[in-house]
Amino acid sequence: MSIGEMLFYILVFPGLTFLLLWTFFVFYFSRKVLAYIHKRVGPHYNGPAGSLQTVYDVFKLLTKESITPKSADPYLFNIIPIITPLVAALPVILIPWTPLINEGRAILDTEYGVLGLVVLIGVEPFLLFLTGFGSNNKYSFLGGMRILAQMLSMEAPFFLAALSPALLFGTMNLYEIMMSNTWLTTLILLPGAIIFIITMLGILEQPPFHIPDAEQEIVYGFYTEYAGTNYTLLKFAEFTEILVVSAAAVTLFFGGYRGLFFDSFWCLFLKIAILAVIMVAIRASNPRLRLDQMLKFCWSWLTPLAVLNLVWVIFAKLYILGA
Amino acid sequence: MERIKELLNKFDTEYVEEYKSWVKAKLKNKEDLVKVVEELKNAGVKSCSTVSPTDFIDENRIEVNYFLEGLNPTKSSKEEKKVNVWLKVDVERDLDKCEIDSITPIMPSANYHELEAYSTFGVKFKGHPNLRYFLISRDYYGKFPFRKDFDWKEHEKHLIENVNAITEEFFEEYEEHEKTVGHEGSRTVLHWGPTHPASGPIRLKVFVNGENIEKVEPDIGYVWRALENLAERKDFIGTIVAVERICFMDNPNPMICYSQAVEEIAGKEITPFAKYMRVILGETGRIASHLISLGGFFGTMGLQTFLMWCLDVREYFLDVLEDYSGARIATACVEPGGVRYPLNDYKAWFGEIEKAIEKWEKTKPDIDDIFLKNPLMTVRAKDTGVFSLEDVEEYYLAGPIARASGAKIDVRIDEPYAGYADLEMDYVTCENGDARDRLYIIYKEINQAIDLIKQAMKKIEEGVEAGEMDPKKDHLVKMPKKLPAGEAVSRIEWARGEILMHLVTQDKATTPYRLKIKAPSVNHTMMLENLLPGHTLSDIPLLYGSMHICQGDLDR
Repeated sequence: MSIGEMLFYILVFPGLTFLLLWTFFVFYFSRKVLAYIHKRVGPHYNGPAGSLQTVYDVFKLLTKESITPKSADPYLFNIIPIITPLVAALPVILIPWTPLINEGRAILDTEYGVLGLVVLIGVEPFLLFLTGFGSNNKYSFLGGMRILAQMLSMEAPFFLAALSPALLFGTMNLYEIMMSNTWLTTLILLPGAIIFIITMLGILEQPPFHIPDAEQEIVYGFYTEYAGTNYTLLKFAEFTEILVVSAAAVTLFFGGYRGLFFDSFWCLFLKIAILAVIMVAIRASNPRLRLDQMLKFCWSWLTPLAVLNLVWVIFAKLYILGA
Repeated sequence: MERIKELLNKFDTEYVEEYKSWVKAKLKNKEDLVKVVEELKNAGVKSCSTVSPTDFIDENRIEVNYFLEGLNPTKSSKEEKKVNVWLKVDVERDLDKCEIDSITPIMPSANYHELEAYSTFGVKFKGHPNLRYFLISRDYYGKFPFRKDFDWKEHEKHLIENVNAITEEFFEEYEEHEKTVGHEGSRTVLHWGPTHPASGPIRLKVFVNGENIEKVEPDIGYVWRALENLAERKDFIGTIVAVERICFMDNPNPMICYSQAVEEIAGKEITPFAKYMRVILGETGRIASHLISLGGFFGTMGLQTFLMWCLDVREYFLDVLEDYSGARIATACVEPGGVRYPLNDYKAWFGEIEKAIEKWEKTKPDIDDIFLKNPLMTVRAKDTGVFSLEDVEEYYLAGPIARASGAKIDVRIDEPYAGYADLEMDYVTCENGDARDRLYIIYKEINQAIDLIKQAMKKIEEGVEAGEMDPKKDHLVKMPKKLPAGEAVSRIEWARGEILMHLVTQDKATTPYRLKIKAPSVNHTMMLENLLPGHTLSDIPLLYGSMHICQGDLDR
């Protein structure tokens, strides 16, 4: 890999520019869809159909003062918002984005793709916990504790669900998993995919699991004390994570960038957009669960089901695919 | 009623008389009060509606009015009347001697009302479990702003000191909490409000252990506008703009309540047309308020879609108010003597109402399927925060909150006012009294209100066709410029429960001498202290939202 290539990967695709564009897009997109369900108009004035509204918002936030509260730990409070988007963006190198780069493989084409993905996604909430811890605010701290509790319980079914395609195809390489995907295996993996999407909602703190930043309960959770640039960075990390996890879901279960007629990045993008619409629809029609209800649901339903799903995948591998 | 009268006659009273559904009595000795209240409680009058002192500065006395109600929530038929008692006791005006025995140990529902009377009038309640300044901010401590000799202008001059006093109080309290709770362990004090996203202008001091609530102390008064005192400085028509600002959501009903009190003192009867107009306006206001409550309930669980949908429907009902009065929120559309404006083209206005009703009917199926049957809402709200019928009587929960527990309480039926006596309606109740039922009852009441509007519209149409009503002239009867000395109690069923207004006038009055407004949210906030402990932090917004508390009528 030449330096020019490397810079291209880091700065343009699938690095910084792509992630920024994605953030602008998904923010605008979810606002517009949500507004439609709300019977509102949504962003309207800036740009065609309000499409530049998010850009304006981000730049407004960047010009705002970043306040460090007197009681907060200044180092922890300010360093974490820089580390968080970096960690959130790391899994990008493990995912095969387009047939045009690296012969269709991921930039870091490794045998431990699934493992790396799960680990890197799993690190994120601990960083967010540290933001709550460093803020030294009661509500932030509660938000931090909640995100830990949610993460610890969601991670088990998340990992088990992510494991099911690896088991079925006998590899952890994301490119090979994607290439082995057929209509039949998609059907076999469907229960796993559903569990993956549900736990994904929990890991991304999306409704009905938006417990750690429950506005009505603990103000804004770990975000409470953040403003200006720091807040923008944290939000950027959040949207990057949404991209990474949805892309992981699509790659693991729905054939990544492979389309019906041609293989392209846009097939992947379309699948991610469909996932995003599902997420917004759930967000628009379901209230939040309580923390203890979420824990109960997770440990007494999701985790056993995820284990059962593994049993089903092994069964299917032996008797349906006949390996 | 006879039974209650006999009971009161046993004591040393100046008079015992009947007044509407009340037995009105004045006790000679204030020492008797506790005994009387105890006996009344045994006789079935179990709830204290409010405590209202009136400051007669010329006679050097403060007259304390106790409004006690026998709610009888399990009544079998509509005809079974409830008996209410209106007790009066005189206390000296002198601050040192201005004290009376507290009835809170007997009737817990009097708790906040006594605190309010103490804070604003300086009547000390001996034996109150936690007598403290309440509602007013630090700068009013010890000054008792509702007394007739309180100098508001002088108080306003010390603005900076007053503001400093308020901040000082907050810091003192903060340090006190730090001392009592300490830094070790998982206990802490959370200030839920007044700038919390879901709280509104109220502060709940929540003592938590991790996520579990141990104790809750509401701190109110953040939107205290001294409306009761403001009314004393306006004329009888000007007062309606103070009264309607109790809470912006259900706007016409408080004005109806106030107007009734004035009409009673003036001895005037309003026209049938005005009566039905009051029904239509009142029910429209109720729907407008309930739609916010309905959506706000889901808002407390982080779902805004329903609120948006409800606001969409609400706009049509606000159109109705706007068409009539020219204003959407603060309408000032009811005044003593009838309703404020004639209806020049009543058919066009009715068409507007039909349009709003149609919009609601069209939205209803979606609301039913997506929200009222939502499984996650059921998981959260079912069997959470249950009120029994005993709670309703003991803490005097009113309106939809009481009816959600199955209590058959509705002023519109118990003591019909405006045109309700001629309309067909029955108690709308739910059974379980949990948070989910407090959502369902609101939904049911909207449908009931629409039914009532339709009936009232029909009555007006019939009346106009028969030539009995003239929408262009009948809206107002002439009221005298000056009112005689007197007092009146008027009650209406507001969107959140019963509003009781106690109006006192002096001879040749051009302004109210005293206007006490009893609003239901006071009792509902009082209930939070008992309701929330034992639940988790996540339940605060849900349960708080399920009580449909409005800070406007809480603080006044």
